[in-house]
Amino acid sequence: MRLERILYTWWLKLKESTWVFTNELQRVFRDPGVMVIFVVATIAYPILYNCIYWKDNVENIPVAVVDLSCSPESRDFLHRWNACPDVTITHTCASMAEAERLLRDQKVHGIIYFPTDFAKALNSGLETAHISLYCDMSSFLYMKGIYLSCNKVMLESMNGIQIDRYEAMGMNEEFAWSLVQEAPYTETALFCPSGGYAAFLIPAVLMLILHQTLFFGICMLGGTAREENEELFRLPGARRASVLRIVIGRAAAYFVIYAALSAFALLLVPRLFGLPHIGNPLDIMRFTVPYLLSVIFFSMLVSTFIRNRESGIVLLISTSLIFLFIAGVSWPQEMLPKPWLWLSYTFPYTWGVHGFLHINSMGATLAGTAKEYIALWIMAAVYFVLTCGMMTLLGWWSEREGNNWRAKSSGMYE
Amino acid sequence: MTMRPLYLFASVGVMVLCTVFFLSIMRGGSPERMPVAVVDHDHTSISRRLCHEMQATPSVDIVLITSEYPEARRAMQRGEVYGILEIPDGFYSDLVAFKRPEIHFYVNNAYTVGANVAYKQFLTMCNLTSGAFQREVLRKKGLPDYLIMKRIQPVAIQAHMIANPWSNYAIYLVSTILPGILGLVVLMLTIFAIGFELKSRSSRRWLEVAGGNYTIAMIGKLIPYTILYLVMGIGCGVILFRFMHFPVYGSTWRLILGIILLVFAMESMAITIIGLLPTLRDAISIGALYGMLGFSLSGFTYPVMNMLPAIQAWANLEPLRHYYLIYVNEALMAAPAINSLPHMLALCAFFIPALLVSRRLHNALVYQNYPLK
Repeated sequence: MRLERILYTWWLKLKESTWVFTNELQRVFRDPGVMVIFVVATIAYPILYNCIYWKDNVENIPVAVVDLSCSPESRDFLHRWNACPDVTITHTCASMAEAERLLRDQKVHGIIYFPTDFAKALNSGLETAHISLYCDMSSFLYMKGIYLSCNKVMLESMNGIQIDRYEAMGMNEEFAWSLVQEAPYTETALFCPSGGYAAFLIPAVLMLILHQTLFFGICMLGGTAREENEELFRLPGARRASVLRIVIGRAAAYFVIYAALSAFALLLVPRLFGLPHIGNPLDIMRFTVPYLLSVIFFSMLVSTFIRNRESGIVLLISTSLIFLFIAGVSWPQEMLPKPWLWLSYTFPYTWGVHGFLHINSMGATLAGTAKEYIALWIMAAVYFVLTCGMMTLLGWWSEREGNNWRAKSSGMYE
Repeated sequence: MTMRPLYLFASVGVMVLCTVFFLSIMRGGSPERMPVAVVDHDHTSISRRLCHEMQATPSVDIVLITSEYPEARRAMQRGEVYGILEIPDGFYSDLVAFKRPEIHFYVNNAYTVGANVAYKQFLTMCNLTSGAFQREVLRKKGLPDYLIMKRIQPVAIQAHMIANPWSNYAIYLVSTILPGILGLVVLMLTIFAIGFELKSRSSRRWLEVAGGNYTIAMIGKLIPYTILYLVMGIGCGVILFRFMHFPVYGSTWRLILGIILLVFAMESMAITIIGLLPTLRDAISIGALYGMLGFSLSGFTYPVMNMLPAIQAWANLEPLRHYYLIYVNEALMAAPAINSLPHMLALCAFFIPALLVSRRLHNALVYQNYPLK
């Protein structure tokens, strides 16, 4: 008898949770503003970002040449350099002043300068020949492309010259070769073989898009409810707050919507646009579960402080770039000052983005990124408890205010 | 304006927070002591010496020395190291026997910044190893050191990083990010300020106060905000280019003029957006989408010339792009004023769409014929 009753109350509670769940889904689908953020932004942004970072690597950076030595050696160097994918020699100038003008007008992003004595120094067999390279620092990718490609050409042609010089010293060719390349090396770029910018940035941006749209959407819904005097912590008609049922029901609604959206953003988009995707899709999905839950509860906690529908935008604009930098993606985590590092550990995005990069881009298994996975579950639990706590407080406050109001109004009529 | 703490927090609070944040995380300027792993199969004095010398450089920090490659790879997959240097078995004995032992190195390109630092360091170390060996052999042959060095390095590149010789990330990133955030704040808050009149149905009263004149109403409303934004914009310029001594080789005044024009251009874009979509909710969402794209489209991280042609055209519609080009001209290139002029004019041209929508916005303010939410 007693057991039956307990089961019955639980059944009722479950039914109420399901009601909250379907009701929340209806609220989302009936609200075009939230739909734009949830669905349109989550689908449009990944596509847009892929169009922006279309070529992945920066190719054919225009550079100018000032060749005062006019020698076969400098021409050979330039031929090799021009053959690098990174740069294209677009201008050949007679003087530095001319090249500087081109750089200033942003027609070129680098200048290479061979002094008059370049060939003489090389052929003397004793001197070091100098090349000057000027890099436009307006974007570090220009500098990286120009500098690294020039360095590679330099090393390559240097070996040829060294061999000539050693042969001139009376060594045989084989020995000269082994001397020059005594410790050869092979370099392997793991995980993103192209080393491109898109392959590095977009996976992190995908996680950020999921985070920020969910965050902004939930803040919007919370703000709307406040504006319309809906009480989010109470079931309609109920006198007491029923926090647990509501939090679980609403979170389930967001989770269902985002399970589909994250499958699109995290599984489909990398395959569509040729981004790294060497992880096991099942592991990614399993990792996404605590990520979405922690983001949902984090956003619900923040949304309890929000009074207006649009206030969330303030948080959105101030946090997007901060999240990206504090998580240690655009800027190495090791370089963060300690207080910022500790703060970053309280955001689900920090753990989520590293875990996703580990699995998706670096092919780790779920066990290989256990630290992030466990941290996200802990975050989800902590933010769930805090959200419930805030909701209870809100319910308690509004009950007290309601009582005060009732007391006041009854006092007026006496 | 003072009625709602949101405005003040959103503008001043966000700017202060972002200034402190970005200037403090990039205090060092360039990444140092990036963690790397060494897989030492050799265990000889020469392999240990290689490690010691690498550890002595400022850019990398060897956090793991192991003799198992899988262990290092797992550490990389956990994100603990940015690069792995693998010294083969019998490195020392092969080296002295002229058998050319091969060093391998691996970098983790999923984290570009750290990987680049590790890559440069590995490349330098490998070339130095070859160089050091040649030096020893030539010494044994009896050559004096000054002649040896010229044989080992017949060609040298002198790289000049224009206007930022330290390749300082703070100078590079913060100079565009902070004005960008200011622009975003201006855009969103201006949409909010006008849109809220529509939402709270107080727009008719607002027009009445201005004597029914749309232009006066708009100017009157935006003056206090504009003053606040300009103070923040100029403050931002003064902090970056005076207090922090970020290099400006051209004119600081023209650069600050660029920030001021950016503020006005963003206000105009805000009027355009709320004029086209006189519903606060839609305007805010579209404004956020448009504003956030400005950072990528300005081209300060990834050059615009490598984007799709349609996207390149779009980039011109982002005020931040023009500010960035003014910044490059003034701060880095010390170009004559004529180079910045087209971009300043472009920023001024953002007024035009704001004027074009004025009729539509005026009607919306009078008739309030758009949905509330």
